[in-house]
Amino acid sequence: MKYEMTPQEKRLAAIAWIVGLLVLGVIILIDLGVHHHAHFEKDGLTFDTLPEFYPMFGFGAAFVLIIVAKTLAIALKRKDTFYADD
Amino acid sequence: MQMTDFPPALILLAGALLIPAAKGRLRWILAFALPVLALADAWQVITVGAESHVPFLGMTLNPVHVHPATPVFATVFAIMVLGGVLYAFNQKREHELPAACVYAGGALGVLFSGDLVSMFIFWEVMTLGSTVLIWSGKRDDSQGAGLRYFGMHAAGGVMLLMGIIIVVSQRVQAGDPDPLAFRHFESMITLWSTLGWDSAGMWLILLGMLVNAGAPPFSSWIPDSYPQGSPSGTVILSAFTTKTAVFTLMTAFAGVEVVIYFGLYMAIYGVVYGILENDIRRLLSYSLVNQVGFMLVGIGIGTHLSIDGAAGHAFAHIIYKALLFMATGSVLWATGRSKMNQLGGLYRTMPITMWCLIIGGLSISGFPLTSGFTSKSMVVQAITDEAARMAALGQSHTYLIITWILFEAATAGVFIDACVKLTWFVFFQKDSGLRPPEVPWNMRAAMIGFAAICVFLGIFPGPLYAILPYQGEAAEYAKVVYSVDHVMLMLGMLLFAGLSFFVLLPLLKRTETITLDIDWIWRRFIPKFWHDVATPLLESLDRAQKTVLEWLPSRATEEGALPVQVRRRLPGTWAVSVPVLVIVLMLLTYLVVYFWLLPRGGA
Repeated sequence: MKYEMTPQEKRLAAIAWIVGLLVLGVIILIDLGVHHHAHFEKDGLTFDTLPEFYPMFGFGAAFVLIIVAKTLAIALKRKDTFYADD
Repeated sequence: MQMTDFPPALILLAGALLIPAAKGRLRWILAFALPVLALADAWQVITVGAESHVPFLGMTLNPVHVHPATPVFATVFAIMVLGGVLYAFNQKREHELPAACVYAGGALGVLFSGDLVSMFIFWEVMTLGSTVLIWSGKRDDSQGAGLRYFGMHAAGGVMLLMGIIIVVSQRVQAGDPDPLAFRHFESMITLWSTLGWDSAGMWLILLGMLVNAGAPPFSSWIPDSYPQGSPSGTVILSAFTTKTAVFTLMTAFAGVEVVIYFGLYMAIYGVVYGILENDIRRLLSYSLVNQVGFMLVGIGIGTHLSIDGAAGHAFAHIIYKALLFMATGSVLWATGRSKMNQLGGLYRTMPITMWCLIIGGLSISGFPLTSGFTSKSMVVQAITDEAARMAALGQSHTYLIITWILFEAATAGVFIDACVKLTWFVFFQKDSGLRPPEVPWNMRAAMIGFAAICVFLGIFPGPLYAILPYQGEAAEYAKVVYSVDHVMLMLGMLLFAGLSFFVLLPLLKRTETITLDIDWIWRRFIPKFWHDVATPLLESLDRAQKTVLEWLPSRATEEGALPVQVRRRLPGTWAVSVPVLVIVLMLLTYLVVYFWLLPRGGA
């Protein structure tokens, strides 16, 4: 059975989306002004000091993990009654 | 034995006898008083640094001893029992409270065990208590899951016991004055690295402990068994087995590199399986594996800061994981449902549960101002510190760089799993039409209390840092934990991981599915193989079997004179063949271990 959101709920949801995106924008702006120290400086690795490295890393890591999971699911997904069917 | 060296575990174990005898209000007074008493006793023992020695079967056991990590684990275990009892206050299951007392008592016993034998005894007590706790969940598959859980931990226990026997016999030969001792932060590692395969005992102890930690290939027992507990039972279950394993690994195997790899596998495995999971409490079980993985990484690094990080993270983890299981338990309690595709829109009527779940979810992800932020980041710092130290010495440390990358990726992953995904599908998403009222006051109070601890430790980590194994290092770290660099790092990483979730939302539509794991081998493949291949094969050998088992004996004894029907009823053929085969295999394994793996100069 489908339930429709009331107009008030729809408005609330829209506000939540806008606020969420604004927060992301603010994070990007602030991060431009923050100097992140290199974690592996002694190895000559400074990839983590690039501007906006962590937002990109977070987005990329989650993206890759979801794709990996979905790929794995092709072979390993079963109905949740799989073991109960015996 | 004086009052100062009374084992705190016995106080909780006594509860298992007293609580069933008590009725009504007295029952609950006892349930609240016992963890408080146990905590008071534990701290008395810790403050005095008490030791007690008890003769047992010709050995001298040391059931009261304070390890460096004992204070932090004992404190959180007691808080956990208290919170669990409050959350369970309105439930009426007869066996759950006594079973929880046995379980937590066993766990507390391990923390104070100064010798391997006491440790093993309490370890097994814990297995018994937790199995009953799963059975008392009385859900669809509680019985089966409890049996599988018991089998898994019995097997792990046997490995542990075999390891202990070998290590103790090695030490006796080496002339160790205290061969039973379980307190070797350093000497066990020396033994490890110098003896290699000769120290099979060490491998077996390590494996036995890793089974309880949920390490591969045995991670699946956690999502298999914990969600089969009752809402309150699962809260208790989530705390002790894995964290006791973390404690023992920390005590015995700090700095052993292989532990890092187990930890990394678990950290990634927990996230990937969690992404695919539909059941809210199974999802949390996967993220539990992920978090224990982080702790194992800290243990494997083995520096003071990483040990502090792992111990501090265990403390924070027990609280927020219990909080998450309380919140999802409340959803189950209120709606009778635990599948995400059947939930949604609950924010309307369960706001307190929702906010508690969000705080738990933020804590598990290490979001600033929550306990995960101040605890887990110590391990991250330790990884980079160790890499810098090894770089300065010119040692190869690429594995540490890879560890850091995977660790941070898994952190981003657990945020989308246990925080964004859970909140979205349970409280928002579509409107499921469910309008359940909030849960009773005691469940809300337990959740709010634990949420408050999460936030408190996020803002004031000082009290937690003060009881860690090496307070000094943690106190130093406290000065930099809230640097702008660190806060922005976590905010950027986590929030944009969240964006990734919503970008890929169409892929994440919930279906009523599970994801197969390695336990498929013993839950499906072996039974099927036995039924469909081995049995027909054996039956086709019927003639040979008859010759061996009926015709030959009948020549040798007078049994042959008996009518066929009577002979068939005699014990023989099928009834004993399988157990005999199993016993023969076990003896064979024992033989191999005994001759091959024992030290060459051995007995």
